[in-house]
Amino acid sequence: MTRVVAVPAHFDDRSFDQFAQAFTQGEGALPEARVLVDARGAQWASPYGLLGILTAGQALVEARRERPLLVVPDHEDVKSYWARAGFFKYAAEYFEIHGKVPRIRPSDGSDVLLGVTPIRAADDVHDAVGRIQEGSIRILHGELGLEKGATMRFGMALSEACQNIVEHAGTGGWVAVQAYTWRRRLGRRVVTIAVSDAGVGFRQTLESAQAKRFGERWGDGAALEAALIQGVSRFRDPGRGQGLAFIKRFLGQWQGKIAIRSGTARLAIVPAWDDDPPLAEGLPQFPGSQVQIIIPAQGAAD
Amino acid sequence: MVATIRIDQLLQEAVTSPYRMLVTRPTGAAVRGRIQAALDGSECETALLDFSAIELIDLSCADEVVVKLLATDTMARRYVVLRGLCDNQREAIDHVLAQQRLAVAALLPETDRPALLGWATDDLRRAFDAVCATAGPVVVSALAAMLEWPVARAADALATLARHRVVRAAADGYRPLSLPLL
Repeated sequence: MTRVVAVPAHFDDRSFDQFAQAFTQGEGALPEARVLVDARGAQWASPYGLLGILTAGQALVEARRERPLLVVPDHEDVKSYWARAGFFKYAAEYFEIHGKVPRIRPSDGSDVLLGVTPIRAADDVHDAVGRIQEGSIRILHGELGLEKGATMRFGMALSEACQNIVEHAGTGGWVAVQAYTWRRRLGRRVVTIAVSDAGVGFRQTLESAQAKRFGERWGDGAALEAALIQGVSRFRDPGRGQGLAFIKRFLGQWQGKIAIRSGTARLAIVPAWDDDPPLAEGLPQFPGSQVQIIIPAQGAAD
Repeated sequence: MVATIRIDQLLQEAVTSPYRMLVTRPTGAAVRGRIQAALDGSECETALLDFSAIELIDLSCADEVVVKLLATDTMARRYVVLRGLCDNQREAIDHVLAQQRLAVAALLPETDRPALLGWATDDLRRAFDAVCATAGPVVVSALAAMLEWPVARAADALATLARHRVVRAAADGYRPLSLPLL
């Protein structure tokens, strides 16, 4: 038996819960069914959306479920972008792919600052940060108006976000960075970092050290609050837990946004230009953790 | 005696990446281990850590390389000075040191004198600058007169700087760290 999980036509952080709902809902009703991720109707996907699909596939394969199926988008330009972003290269590791995939080599550059990149160990973080530093100055400085020093902070933020996978997820994950124009939401260029893993999530990572302190409030939302707002870590080392604090401070300087989704909750540091709720709980369960960082072009982000 | 340690060379030994990026805790721990190994075989009193060929350092790596190095037995009887830090590197190191109420001296590109990075009160910074600006040793009474402070306040500041190993306490007073560039 096959269970269909449809990819939203416009797949980004706002439609992610729709995908998560479809992914999770059937797990209860048809727990042994083979999953088919249907992307035929996809018209656009952000890096966050692309990593969400990979994470779903990764979670199924690591749970030793039957290898899921992926039907590629109908639109040629959508397929081309997904291929250029490196999505299909890694999707083939987890999905049985149906449909014609363009023969385009994944490439950074242009608006894809960093194509889909696996993060499994510290060396992968080195590689991702190095590639970003090499290629991002034109977009971050030239197009987004960030001062040149900010590209270093951008690399630092990317590094800290990726290290959460290596240090806490218990499995591998993914990162992708892209610049594009947010016509509907902001009316200007943004650069977005998406990081996702299929690991244990923030609640399980912090449970032994933090659950007692939160008491009945303990859950996915409280775990995100502990990590992002209070800067706690599962390690006793007092030098730990500073990475997310740094990202918050960096984003504050640039009217940026960070949102972390883990399990059934999402916590965001919301700038003035966005109307996301700071905390959303009771969301559809989704494996691991997903981080999205957005930095808008400077000058009119209000 | 001063041992100059080029961090970029240790980084190249520690990782296979072609980039000169000090990122991730494992990398920081590997670089710290190499610094310790270099110093353990040396009689030097001061380690001058040269970051000038490093492009980027993240907080995790700054914590592993600098903060944890200061806590090692290797450094218990030695002084550390940092050199070649750009603004972002200085910011990262300053932040991780301040989090743990630690301080270190650094030679910054835009000045010809050492500066304090990390946790330091205004009193400590003023006392540190005074010691570094003085040709000879600085005694408590001289600092008190120089800054128009009570003697106890000057004594406390100098003792704290010496405890953080950012000035040297000698028999004839407090001196800046010995460095070729000072």
